[in-house]
Amino acid sequence: MNMEAFSRIERRSTSLDLTHMNLDTLSLENIGDERRKAIQQLHVAFNRFSVFPHNVCLLSSLQFLDISNNQLTVIPEEIARLSSLRTLIAKNNRLNQFSLPKDFGTMQLETLNLSGNRFEEVPPQFLKLKGLLSLSLGGNRLSSIPAEIENLTRLEMLYLGGNLITAIPPELANLLRLRYLVLCDNRIHSIPPQLTRLHSLLSLSLHNNLLTYLPREILSLVHLQELSLRGNPLVVRFIRDMTYNPPSLLELAGRSVKSQNVSYHPSDLPSNLLHYLSLASKCPNPKCAGVYFESCVRHIRFVDFCGKYRLPLMHYLCSPECTSPCSSTPQSDAESEDESSVPADRLQRVLLG
Amino acid sequence: MDQHTEVTKPQTLDELIQILHKIFEGDEINVEEVQNIMESYESNPQEWVKYAKFDQYRYTRNLVDEGNGKFNLMILCWGEGHGSSIHDHTDSHCFMKLLQGQLKETLFEWPGGRAQGTMVQKSQRVLQENQCAYINDSIGLHRVENVSHTECAVSLHLYSPPFQQCQAFDQRTGHKNTVKMTFWSKYGERTPVVSVV
Repeated sequence: MNMEAFSRIERRSTSLDLTHMNLDTLSLENIGDERRKAIQQLHVAFNRFSVFPHNVCLLSSLQFLDISNNQLTVIPEEIARLSSLRTLIAKNNRLNQFSLPKDFGTMQLETLNLSGNRFEEVPPQFLKLKGLLSLSLGGNRLSSIPAEIENLTRLEMLYLGGNLITAIPPELANLLRLRYLVLCDNRIHSIPPQLTRLHSLLSLSLHNNLLTYLPREILSLVHLQELSLRGNPLVVRFIRDMTYNPPSLLELAGRSVKSQNVSYHPSDLPSNLLHYLSLASKCPNPKCAGVYFESCVRHIRFVDFCGKYRLPLMHYLCSPECTSPCSSTPQSDAESEDESSVPADRLQRVLLG
Repeated sequence: MDQHTEVTKPQTLDELIQILHKIFEGDEINVEEVQNIMESYESNPQEWVKYAKFDQYRYTRNLVDEGNGKFNLMILCWGEGHGSSIHDHTDSHCFMKLLQGQLKETLFEWPGGRAQGTMVQKSQRVLQENQCAYINDSIGLHRVENVSHTECAVSLHLYSPPFQQCQAFDQRTGHKNTVKMTFWSKYGERTPVVSVV
């Protein structure tokens, strides 16, 4: 966040403010050795650095560096010498996935903001920053999120708005400390239901994407206070998905075994069938005791959030005939979820439109 | 007959507030006059930074002055990607001036009688620093957004008469809800709201 820009207006001796000074090199001549070792914050945004000023690495106690709005194409190896650096902000430069040094991943960074650059991929070095709490790559050219994002186990804030992302890897759901997830202004078609595991999530920004529905599991995000969905082609009228591939013989047999509770011993069956039987998914219709394997129907229901909005939520049912008992006519668009009308205090602001 | 006040360009935020107090002493408001005065104040962050309190997840409303009951002057802080719902202004005048960054304003028609179907967009523009926009209910509804993914935005809003609630609209259907408005801070002090649902 840009809150740092406002804290710098207080002048402190451990903070050096050289923003908007038309600098293309950084001379620390006038700063004595002792002060150089004492400086903890350096603000050099809005200058003309096309080469990273190597003198920065003389500031051995540096914790905070903001070098945004310059013309950098490379961050040099020496930056890894700044062992105390916890915040690096280099927005609006000319950096891409090749600009960071090999050892960048060894740094002890907590906040990394590289929004407004030219990243087409998340560089592997970022995924080694074990202590990272906040990562922003907004306004870049990312077309995907790597599954290895799950390595950033401490991450609380992930800002990826304004990219070219088409899908969300289910591994994102392993970021159990994530509180703020921003995916707005991308090209995302669907949300993996696994995201329900993000039980720390307070705010989810999905506006301006290509979502037509949401997975019903989104209702389980109990702490969610903000959810923005505007600018998505969300289904307004109920559309019953009539295409249904009839189940295979294997599937029918598997369903019978499971629903009839036919007992079997591992020695009774070849291992591939044992494995198959273990993949049975329970039909989400609570009134249906059925299971399905591959053959299922995508079903869109409308759920009242806080009694105010109707969101299309998608889940899989074992067959087109399997519906909630409260559905009236097949073409009705007044269906509502019987077991989950989200209480008013659950979602303070659902920005649908 | 209204006295034509000699208006000078406010050199500081405090001066702007003083001039606004004078202008709003009477009962009639000259929209153009207020808009010009607000636009002519050149934003100086040092004068308003104490009101600019950001929240990570949503935009904040920070009360600056209560205008002797005639108006509310507040500073709104918008993080990257933060936006408002489509809303009305409860029969009040609304002036919005950019102090830092840019905000996109999208104007909408009021939804029709039965509020069915997507709301009709009238126009859209991006307001630049120091520009001052004006809206009231007869002009229409609007959505305000910081569409930047790299910069935050700060805006100065004047509402007259002051109001504590407005209506928020669902763009897809035109359905509306009444929303209570709260302050993140008042006069530079953070004021947490005790939640009453």
